[in-house]
Amino acid sequence: MTTATLEKPAPAAPSLAPSAQANRPTGPKAACLLMGLDLGTNKSCVLAGSPGSSDITVSKVVPSVVGYVKDGIVDGIITGNAKVLFGEEALRQMLHVELAVPLAEGVISHPEAARDFMLHLRQLADPSGRSEIRAVVGVPANAGEQAREAIRRAATGIFSHILLIPEPFLAALGYRDDARVRQPGYVDPVVNSLFIDIGGGTSDLCLVQGYFPTRDDQISIPFAGDAIDALIFDGLNRTYPNNGLSLITVREIKEAHAYVGPSRKPLEVKVVIGGKSRTLELGDAIGNACNALIDKIYPALTALIASASSDSVVTLLQNIIVTGGGSQIRGIDTVLQKKLADEGYESPRVRLAGQDFQRYVAMGALKAARAARENQWQVLLG
Amino acid sequence: MGRVYRRICFLRFEGRGTEATQIEFTELKEAVDAAKGQTPSGPEADSILKRLLEEEGERVADAVAFAEAIMPYLPDHLAATQPALSPSTLGIYKGLKDGPRPAGDTRTVADFIDDMLAQDRPRAR
Repeated sequence: MTTATLEKPAPAAPSLAPSAQANRPTGPKAACLLMGLDLGTNKSCVLAGSPGSSDITVSKVVPSVVGYVKDGIVDGIITGNAKVLFGEEALRQMLHVELAVPLAEGVISHPEAARDFMLHLRQLADPSGRSEIRAVVGVPANAGEQAREAIRRAATGIFSHILLIPEPFLAALGYRDDARVRQPGYVDPVVNSLFIDIGGGTSDLCLVQGYFPTRDDQISIPFAGDAIDALIFDGLNRTYPNNGLSLITVREIKEAHAYVGPSRKPLEVKVVIGGKSRTLELGDAIGNACNALIDKIYPALTALIASASSDSVVTLLQNIIVTGGGSQIRGIDTVLQKKLADEGYESPRVRLAGQDFQRYVAMGALKAARAARENQWQVLLG
Repeated sequence: MGRVYRRICFLRFEGRGTEATQIEFTELKEAVDAAKGQTPSGPEADSILKRLLEEEGERVADAVAFAEAIMPYLPDHLAATQPALSPSTLGIYKGLKDGPRPAGDTRTVADFIDDMLAQDRPRAR
């Protein structure tokens, strides 16, 4: 059974579950607030703003994690004796909570945590809880109907309207500098570009050529940041057995030292094991894991380039953009560019999206929310 | 594994090479790895795998040939049972794969969303 949705607004509010009623605006005229939401496997980004303006009133990046406080925790240990914590706060209190991760490989894997997390994001955007919220939510390229339905289900009673749009297209929309679109010389990423969005769960590649990408224009690979963490973790355990380092620590090490290309040694990392400081040589463990990502995404990149028309491909090759957390891997742009050049592609240029890499999908989502026509929204019936 | 490979063959027959490549890199690779994990590796296992994939490829080729044979009879049948596609929907799909749109052809974000919803409709049925 699927969540009830309509493509046009319902004339009257349907009955809602009690928990949903508490989150819905009260009174005859609730203000409308638009949200752009990038639900990531490791980090999520929420942007919010009013319709009819270009202002962004809320912009937050939150680790995608929910902490359910364990029974028997002494009063005062958890601020306000909260029962559920989110994001950084949940990670800070990891000894006192059961951590739950709402998403795996870009799709909802823990429905209850996903719902609680979405409610938290709503509260960040609308602390008063009185606004009617319309949210555009990014989904991985080629996300199936089951994954989309899981998001709608989690969002029911939290948002009034929803629109699900593939993330790589939203990244292109978010990356687009609207003020320069009509300026001569500006290469509009929405007109002809290839986006590589490397997240925690999936790496999504997408051709954006002035029309909405078809399924053939998008490739989603279930290998991204989490898979790299796991490979580094395994490599570390082979070289330094019983090191006791957690996956969270390994992720922090990766975020500080990730690279692709030729081996970078020495790459010495100081860690604390069993209370003692130790220096580990991680050049190979990190390099091998990150280079595995190149092996996965490069064939998909060339497959998409091959599918572009001959009239567009030369410009397209100048406009390959890497975004998402994976864009922070040192050398990823130059390694991909060199591989393309070495294989004879015409003057390829691979660029990094830049410092807002965590926000482009949500920025695109908020732009889409502001532009969506009334009949394009799906009404979530609680 | 056979089912996944049949899907890949069918997508290639339809000219949807990118989608086929995507499944080959992900689902088929996982299925092959899983199958290899359950049987002793070696030339015999490789030969069995090769034969299986060839057989599946032939099954799809036969199915496509059959579909081509009955295709001339389908329009009359569909006309009687399916509503016609609206001109606006046909317009959205027309030219989708013609490469980037020419300069000056300014489309709004809402137009893109219309494209997306039109693509989603057949999937949601």
